[in-house]
Amino acid sequence: MHQAATTVHVELFGVPRLLAGSKAIAVAGETLGALSRALLDACPALAERVIDPRTGWLTEGYMFVVNDRFSRDPTFPVAPGSSVLLVSSVAGG
Amino acid sequence: MHGVHGRYLHIDLDTGSVAEHPIPEEVSIRVIGGVGLASLLLYRWAPPGVDPLAPENPLIFATSPFIGTGITTASKVAVVTKSPQTGMIGDSLSSSYLAIALKRTGFDALVITGTATEWSLLVVDDGRVEVRPATDLLGRTPEETADAVRAALGTGFRVAAIGEAGENGVRYAAISNDGRLAGRTGGGAVMGSKRLKAIAVHGSGLPTVADPAGLARAARDLAARSLGPGTAKYRELGTAANLAFFNRIGVLPTRNFQQGEFAGAEAISGETLFLEHRTDKHACAACTIGCEHHYRTRDGGSERTVRLEYESLFALGSLCGVDDPNAVLRAAALCDDLGMDAITTGATVAWAMECAERGVDLGYPVDEIPRFGDADSLLRTIEAIGRRQGIGDLLAEGSRRAAECTGQGSEAWAMHVKGLEMPGYDPRKLPTLALGLAVATRGACHNRSSAYEIDFSDRLDPDAEALARAEAAAAAEDQAAVLDSLTICKFLRHCFDDLYAEAAELYTMVTGVPTTGDDLRVAGERINNLKKLFNIREGWTRADDRLPDRVLTGEAGLTHERLTHLIDAYYRVRGWDADGRIPEEHLTRLGLTDLL
Repeated sequence: MHQAATTVHVELFGVPRLLAGSKAIAVAGETLGALSRALLDACPALAERVIDPRTGWLTEGYMFVVNDRFSRDPTFPVAPGSSVLLVSSVAGG
Repeated sequence: MHGVHGRYLHIDLDTGSVAEHPIPEEVSIRVIGGVGLASLLLYRWAPPGVDPLAPENPLIFATSPFIGTGITTASKVAVVTKSPQTGMIGDSLSSSYLAIALKRTGFDALVITGTATEWSLLVVDDGRVEVRPATDLLGRTPEETADAVRAALGTGFRVAAIGEAGENGVRYAAISNDGRLAGRTGGGAVMGSKRLKAIAVHGSGLPTVADPAGLARAARDLAARSLGPGTAKYRELGTAANLAFFNRIGVLPTRNFQQGEFAGAEAISGETLFLEHRTDKHACAACTIGCEHHYRTRDGGSERTVRLEYESLFALGSLCGVDDPNAVLRAAALCDDLGMDAITTGATVAWAMECAERGVDLGYPVDEIPRFGDADSLLRTIEAIGRRQGIGDLLAEGSRRAAECTGQGSEAWAMHVKGLEMPGYDPRKLPTLALGLAVATRGACHNRSSAYEIDFSDRLDPDAEALARAEAAAAAEDQAAVLDSLTICKFLRHCFDDLYAEAAELYTMVTGVPTTGDDLRVAGERINNLKKLFNIREGWTRADDRLPDRVLTGEAGLTHERLTHLIDAYYRVRGWDADGRIPEEHLTRLGLTDLL
């Protein structure tokens, strides 16, 4: 029997937080690609600037951090209980 | 050669003499301009072992081939001198109109030595040089000074000025222009030691470019790309966006690097500042990005609007345990008004706060001692530093000297490298950055290598070996040296598909000198070796490439042993010997031997 994907609280920083009007969004997914699509469904305000609605994947300016690992790989697995952050991919300043 | 004037001006304030010196084409090509050119001039003009605050120490302002060409963001002036903080090379950059006006004077650089007999204003108007009395400008902020000078000389002049901190010899005084600062390494203190309150420049002669039509097309294309995702963060929220994220991953320096997380981070986060304090944003001259976000105090007091970057925000906020955004904005405004580097200011105050927390006797009345989290004491102490009053006289020396003077073990929490206070990245969890901070020629600096980018990415495995990190750190340094010498803003770096190749195409169109990406990469390596060579001449030893013990406790695996291993690997990548010295054949290979 197929189990429902784990719910993850994706924490938002910077522009994603301002667009969503929220510090975190709870979505389900077992990969970053699935989380990205779920984020777009849950928060259409992220479309275009943060998530490309045509692909459902992050635009060039953003990336995920999963348990302190930085990734722009949509196949990156997300285990139950993972810490997932959505941040700008441009570091520092 | 197009794009440059091929000459610089030496002004001796001791004698009032002025002399033009040629810059041969081959020299321009090898060191590019900006920081590269100014570093070479420093090597040639600074007497070995010179006291940074002595008249003989040159204060150098240098332009680049790209300034005034329409290439976006390329309006920066390099300010280089022997640093009164580190005793090594001090290089800093400041953006905007000053750079264009300086290049219009007909010279690629100004070299200023000597000390004026009274507080002075140096005026360079095309080829004419005049030193005017400026006693009436003392005590004014850099902005007030610039306004007064431009009112007297005309608004065609652009002005670099120091504030009270520079007048009073605060070792980390900055040089300000157009609302921007050459902030780090104490150029303002050197300018003050020469009794120069301000420099006003004006001119009418930009050099030609080799391929105006091609350059115009390429510059338009780059400007369009500058509005893409590679700069979105800077345009939309500014660098203040770092704070909340850095706090979440535990790399936000807090209470003098005692922690990497700050309980009050949300109150001073970039997101909160954007929603509750932001007024507008500005761009430097010839910049299409526009990263400079301004914020307004909202505490019922006299309203103040101030430019704020992440580095000022962390240094005057979490580092001092202050979570009142209005106080942080007022502290940043004070640093601007007094003309001081906000990073070193915050870090030195944080050192004093930890002294107070640990019961160290600083030798000043209790009510002068700043305390963690006490915004009023932060503001009071910043004013005291700028005016060298009371405890401010001690703290005006920076954390290293203040700790050496105070003793009682306080050297252990003076958070500097080579005398330059650490920027807003806790290196404990960022090993490539840690290496970059330890080996940087100007001291603890995130801006001369941007090695943190490696740690904030998926480009290196977290368990990557020392050699891979060393290669990444050295490559980041060389890229930064090229950007600082072409005087392109580092915020543009993600707008290139192949930075070296595309920058070389631009360089060729500007100068007419056929140049490849590899030529520029080697130039970056050459410039970093040149800076290192200056430091070696001034007494650098391997022991100077270090980090404070506090961050080498083993958290996230960063220990003395690991840092040593990283530094060993870095020296190998650089082609240096085990002591970090540069073999003669290496200098020859880089084309440095006959330049010096």
